[in-house]
Amino acid sequence: MLSWRRSFRLHLRKGTVEQDVNDEIAFHIDQATRELMADGMDPQAAREEAGRRFGDVEGIRRTCREIGHQRQRGRRRTEIVSELGQDALFAVRQLARTPGFTLIAVLTLALGIGATTAIFSLLHAVVLRPLPFDHPERIVHLWMVDRGQDRSMSAGNFLAYRDGVRSFEHLSALRNASFNLTGDGNPERIVGARVSAGYFETFNARPLLGRVISAAEDSPGRDRVVVLSHGLWHDRFGADPRVIGRDVRLNGLVHTVIGVMPVGFASGSRLWVPLALTPEQMGNYGDSYLRLLGRLRPGASLAAAQTEVADLAKRLETVDARANVGKGARIEPFVDHLLGGYRRRLLILLGAVACVLLIACVNVANLLLARGAARSREIAIRAALGAGQGRIVRQLLTESLVLSLGGAIAGIGLAHLGLRGLVAISPAGVPRLGEAGIDGLALAFALGLGLAASLVSGLVPALRTARPDLQTLLKEGGRSFGTGSPRDRVRTGLLVAEVALALVLLAGAGLLIRSAIQLQQVELGFDPAGVLTAQLSLPRADYPETDRAAAAVQRVVTETGQLAGVESAAAISILPLSHNDSSSALEIEGHPRPVEQRLEGSTREVSPGYFRTLRVPLLHGRDFTAADRAGAPKVVAVNETLARLAWPGEDPIGKRLAWSVDDQTGPDWRQVVALVADVRQRDLAEDMRPTLYLPMAQSDLWGDNDIEVAVVARTAGDPSALAGPMRRAVRGVDPRLPVYDLTTLEEIRAAAAATTRFNMLLLSALGGIGLLLAAVGIYGVISWFVSQRTQEIGLRMALGATEGRVLALVTWQAMRPVLVGLGVGLAGALAATRALGGLLFGVTATDPATFAGVLVVLAGAALLASWLPARRASRVEPTRALAP
Amino acid sequence: MAPPTRMDLLQGTLDVLILKALSWGPLHGYAVVRWISQRTEDALRIEEGALYPALHRMEQREWIEAEWGVSENNRRAKFYRLTPAGRRQLNAEAESWRRYAEAVGRVLATATA
Repeated sequence: MLSWRRSFRLHLRKGTVEQDVNDEIAFHIDQATRELMADGMDPQAAREEAGRRFGDVEGIRRTCREIGHQRQRGRRRTEIVSELGQDALFAVRQLARTPGFTLIAVLTLALGIGATTAIFSLLHAVVLRPLPFDHPERIVHLWMVDRGQDRSMSAGNFLAYRDGVRSFEHLSALRNASFNLTGDGNPERIVGARVSAGYFETFNARPLLGRVISAAEDSPGRDRVVVLSHGLWHDRFGADPRVIGRDVRLNGLVHTVIGVMPVGFASGSRLWVPLALTPEQMGNYGDSYLRLLGRLRPGASLAAAQTEVADLAKRLETVDARANVGKGARIEPFVDHLLGGYRRRLLILLGAVACVLLIACVNVANLLLARGAARSREIAIRAALGAGQGRIVRQLLTESLVLSLGGAIAGIGLAHLGLRGLVAISPAGVPRLGEAGIDGLALAFALGLGLAASLVSGLVPALRTARPDLQTLLKEGGRSFGTGSPRDRVRTGLLVAEVALALVLLAGAGLLIRSAIQLQQVELGFDPAGVLTAQLSLPRADYPETDRAAAAVQRVVTETGQLAGVESAAAISILPLSHNDSSSALEIEGHPRPVEQRLEGSTREVSPGYFRTLRVPLLHGRDFTAADRAGAPKVVAVNETLARLAWPGEDPIGKRLAWSVDDQTGPDWRQVVALVADVRQRDLAEDMRPTLYLPMAQSDLWGDNDIEVAVVARTAGDPSALAGPMRRAVRGVDPRLPVYDLTTLEEIRAAAAATTRFNMLLLSALGGIGLLLAAVGIYGVISWFVSQRTQEIGLRMALGATEGRVLALVTWQAMRPVLVGLGVGLAGALAATRALGGLLFGVTATDPATFAGVLVVLAGAALLASWLPARRASRVEPTRALAP
Repeated sequence: MAPPTRMDLLQGTLDVLILKALSWGPLHGYAVVRWISQRTEDALRIEEGALYPALHRMEQREWIEAEWGVSENNRRAKFYRLTPAGRRQLNAEAESWRRYAEAVGRVLATATA
């Protein structure tokens, strides 16, 4: 009441600030004039004297007016705030009166807002935040493009691009490498990189201690220096600031520590040593093993740089035709390469949770409509007593705002829990995931969602409720007859929207579930059960000849094979499903092809017994033996895909192929001695690739790289029990060799399916929530329809309609909007699932089986949700229904 | 130079004088001026118009309230009344004035001795 009186007074006074000030000053001067006249002054002189004593009338008037206006504004502000406070208090009281309704609405919104906030936090932490580098948008990758695929670069090409492209401020090369770190403490395997001078400058990164690699150090013989990552410095050197200048042993060679990088600079490498290309490497255009990273000059555009590198790629074709003909070059922003895949996946998830949130909003809108209908008498009375429509809408919106803010606050709690769960179950290797959390931005996002949700869920019900048909309502006592009222159209619309949204969500979830199942059923080509594997690395400093390294590996394999419980043991250069590959362009004897059309085959060095140990079927020919050593005739084994592509319809045994060509003696032919079954080499989702296997001792593919192999051992028992004995076996052969990445092939297989499983789990959970919410919403709306039609149903039954007929009629009328929703949803889903493209495996984005299944599930849920109220309706007693 | 018997008002003094004037009961602006000049026996020079911005500011701070009423000679006039907050303000100001005057007085007494 108080606020009413105040605002009333305010209106009367509006525009009278000027009048008040004028009147007050006029009174003062009048009064002064009178007194001066009473003292005997004549009127004219008295008036002048009074004005003189008063001072600057106009100035004072202006000052007073300003103060008055200020006061008025301040008062209006406090009034609005207090009115809002009153509305909110009133809303809370109203909501507290129906705790069941309030709880359901708040929880529904909390679910939607919480899920959306959690995914948004992930998206922000992983993708949206700028990278912690100076001008990260200027950092780019430079790839060689070979038959549409991004490839590494050769050293020769690297130097050509470094010196020949003006758009680059720096262009640097990187080659991943791991190092056996020995000296004080256990030998340890460290993942690091060999980088050219200018690598750190590419990121404009400064060291925390010491300095980075200089141009002088980037040459053979002067390259025994190392820069440590912050993590390695911390873990291995106890964060000792005097580490600069200390010597460490890497792969048996002494290196001097020259610098330590700060925390943010990691990118997977734990240390960096100079790339130090030899003159021989610099002249090599054929061997591609360098990843190039560049920094664009300020002002240089991506497009200009792209044109420049493409031109240079053309010119390089003439420098070394064999290596470069048909190869292009492509610039890719660093951030795209690092986060591109995640951005899409997380945006899809965000879309899915947004669907859930919208369904939640629709449900709450339905609840509010029902509540509004129940309160229509109250509203009508308030309207009749003179409350304006705007005022009533504001009050109703305040109610949904209070609900939504409650939902947002509860949702923030849910998001916090959900985010921790997500981080815990997410697949390994997602960059920056650990930094995800509910921060200020996430809080603001959640509150913003709450605000939006209150509008989405509250506006239509508020407008509907605030504009009741006064006469009908008051006359009929709140009961309306028939189904043609506009309010039904709103509800029907909400139902259609809800069903459509749920269908989009379920279709996406369904496709991902099918992908995961397909992936689980993929033919691996080998038997992972019971196989333990461990990585071994033999540095070139200790094993300069491949022959000797192969002999050492063979000794480890033999020792392992003799351990208790081991059925067989072997070694391979790159394990299946390890997301790693090495490949060469192949020349097939008798089938010459132009350079750019040559067959590309994955290459794997193996020890004898590898096929037996992994149970890769040996289809034809013989396994490698100890006799296939260096100097013996060079032999290979090929998989079915390679055999089919190279010698279609022919027996490959005895055929010859080569990958290296000597200018004098011609191709270095190797004879096929075995045909083996296909194996998934890089990951589960790829097609079978042409692959060839060669005996370790005969490999020329390692070059001067350290020799890295995986030892595999098949056991009848628990493979993890082998870990200790296997380590001891390696130590027996060479105590300096670290054994690392001990795991089972089953675990590697699970890790390969982890991303798809994660996507599936998440979308299934969201789909489930969406289905549940939609079913509850459908049930609510249809219950309401039925309750509104009790009279009509009673009448029909009184006129002889059977229970069955009523059941069918009500169900059919309820299902009509559901069917419309399914139609709309189907169109939406067909459009939306296209975005899933790359995440699917073994199904198309419009997989008919999935869509049919999802339609059946949703229609079934809707049928159940409408059948329950329909059955209730069919049991209506005509006399009760028709009673006034 | 003003004659030695009439002093210019110090900053903030006007507020205290107005509060004091209103402490005896509601007055309109002109009466406040009259009350002050009588009490100070015209020793203080007040520019009468300056009174009004001061009054309105104090109204904004809610030290005083205003209401239109009827003057002794039956004319419409705006009357000001002290609020409880205004009374507290007056007490605080009066106290600090007293201490200030005492301190200055002591200094001047020792200086002439």
